[in-house]
Amino acid sequence: MENIINIVTVLMMATSFAVFSLRQYHHSIKAYALQTLLLVIVFLALYFKYGSHELLIWAITAFVIKVVFVPLYLLRLIKKIGVVVEDEPVGGFFISPVIALSFSLAVSMMLYKVFIHFSLFQEILPLFAASFIFMMGIFGFVLRNSFLKQILAYCLFENGIHLSLALMAYTSHELVEVGILTDAIFAVIIMSVLAKRFYASYDSLDTSKAINLRG
Amino acid sequence: MDILLLILIVPFVFGILMFLMPLNFKLLKNLHIFLSLIVSVVLLTAVGKVVDGGELHIFHQFIFLDSLGAIFLSLIAITGLLVNIYATTYMKWELEEGHITLKEVKNYFALSFIFTWTMALSVLCNNIAFMWAAIEATTLASVFLVAVKKDKKSTESGYKYIVLCSIGLAFALYATILLYSAANGNIDGEAMLYTNLLANAANLDPMALKLVFIFALIGFGTKAGLAPTHTWLPDVHAEGPAPTSALLSGVLLKCAMLGLIRYYAVVANGVGFDFVQTVMIISGTLTLFISAFFLIRQHNVKRMFAYHSVAHMGVIAFGLGVGGAIGLFAALFHCAAHSFTKALAFCSTGNIARIYGTKDMTKMGGMIRIAPITAVLFGIAICSLVGVPGFAIFVSEFLIFKAAAIGGQYILMGIFAVALAIIFIADFSHFFLATFGKVEGEVVHNSEMKLSENLPLLGLAILIVAFGVWQFDSFTFLLDESVKSIMK
Repeated sequence: MENIINIVTVLMMATSFAVFSLRQYHHSIKAYALQTLLLVIVFLALYFKYGSHELLIWAITAFVIKVVFVPLYLLRLIKKIGVVVEDEPVGGFFISPVIALSFSLAVSMMLYKVFIHFSLFQEILPLFAASFIFMMGIFGFVLRNSFLKQILAYCLFENGIHLSLALMAYTSHELVEVGILTDAIFAVIIMSVLAKRFYASYDSLDTSKAINLRG
Repeated sequence: MDILLLILIVPFVFGILMFLMPLNFKLLKNLHIFLSLIVSVVLLTAVGKVVDGGELHIFHQFIFLDSLGAIFLSLIAITGLLVNIYATTYMKWELEEGHITLKEVKNYFALSFIFTWTMALSVLCNNIAFMWAAIEATTLASVFLVAVKKDKKSTESGYKYIVLCSIGLAFALYATILLYSAANGNIDGEAMLYTNLLANAANLDPMALKLVFIFALIGFGTKAGLAPTHTWLPDVHAEGPAPTSALLSGVLLKCAMLGLIRYYAVVANGVGFDFVQTVMIISGTLTLFISAFFLIRQHNVKRMFAYHSVAHMGVIAFGLGVGGAIGLFAALFHCAAHSFTKALAFCSTGNIARIYGTKDMTKMGGMIRIAPITAVLFGIAICSLVGVPGFAIFVSEFLIFKAAAIGGQYILMGIFAVALAIIFIADFSHFFLATFGKVEGEVVHNSEMKLSENLPLLGLAILIVAFGVWQFDSFTFLLDESVKSIMK
């Protein structure tokens, strides 16, 4: 079972890089859906390994909300706005992923060594992946100018945190999972409403154009 | 029904009720005031029970109210009520001038109850993951209190608010999970409960706790407006309606600070106070000087007060950094003093913007002749903000000096004095610019507001002076108990 979890978490790292780097929005959204499906597989694998029923509930709720609802909602949003390709990110399309990748790897190298001291699941690779995905999400916010890519970055680091929770503290109460997921859904919905407004105001999703309030 | 359960139900139900109301301004206004009053009575009843009988809890301690939470709940009740009453006046003006539609006013009133509900929840959660979820929910509930209009500036402020706070709070969630993981199996009882974590802090892994505190500082510090992740705050506070800015600065920042204080308590009792105090001193000093630098350059009255919010979060961080019983007492007192003061400051900007039709202080002047009561209220807010004796903020700033002197931290006293001096000079120059001399620009509303319109502001001004000259036993009791609970 450890091998399955190792392989799946490596795939999750690859998908986080894809969500970050792919220029076409619908490809990025589908990569996110795939990543969340992999997350659900990790939950199920941990459930079969440890028999903790909380993990089964997490798997079901994550599937419904994050594999199905959020991607469909975001696909509908890009269709409604009529955007296809992402705006130029900070440093350009090539440099931006390189920066994110190298810094995320460096930070994760430090973090997993702390995590392993108290994690319930004692495998290096999944713990490394959890912090890597989180950091890719943070860099998505910092380096990508597109509002929609920033929403996906939020979803990414939320997946990183979710994976950390499953690996390090899968015995926590189901209500915790519900609370965090509820926030995530509302955050995505509210950010999407603002993205629509943003597009209506600026005729673009490029947030580097939002400079009216500086001073 | 249990009072805590009532708090979990009442504001939320009132929010839904407001959404369902017909589009009649008089009805909406009266209902908003009446329901806000009920919410405040409920919140203050719970605070009173803590003063009389100690900690309250329900749902197997999942929800609780300790003395620390009671301080912040009383701010939600008192500042929240006065600002909500002022909001009805402010929205009436906005409606009359065609800046806003009646439907937007109704949504604003309804959302302010949901916002109050999320803030109260963040104070009441003993479960640290739920506390995080509630603090994140405060952002989600208040986005459309900031971005009320659909123009470029409003949208931009809403975007910056949700995006920057969400990034910051992601770190806080990570801190939560790390803390739970570090505690799970190492402590007695449920490892997600703050009370259990605090009671068993000495059993936790010190390296994990240090990482937890750094993440919590980034996370809750972003939301509280601590530098260098404060950048969302001036844009959001300057662009939102005056009552929203008053609520955000007066109450919301304090709720985020409460989250940080709870982590401060757990980590300090786990690894010792030296570590958390050093981190908070660095954070507080950085915040004070960055905000002082930007403050001195501001001519927009709301941006000026927004940078003040950053500065005073720096003061609270500094108080936590100086530490000791007096330093902690001062930091907590400052939360209340700043809450009343900043609510008055932002509400008075609503009056000022109505008078001059602008927020640019270089286009004002002569306010003392046009609207003397507003000018005096503005002056009271400024006097308190810069720490003039007799006003609430003086008490906490003086106590921070005293704590530093008792601890022999003379360099810290010097740093604190320099930062406050810069803020003092910046503020009074701005105040004189707007209040005295001749009018530099246009006067749109050439008279004082009605007394009834100024009543909530007068209430806040009385509180500022009262807390500056009087010691309220119940409040002091809560502060003392809170300090004891942190220092164990």
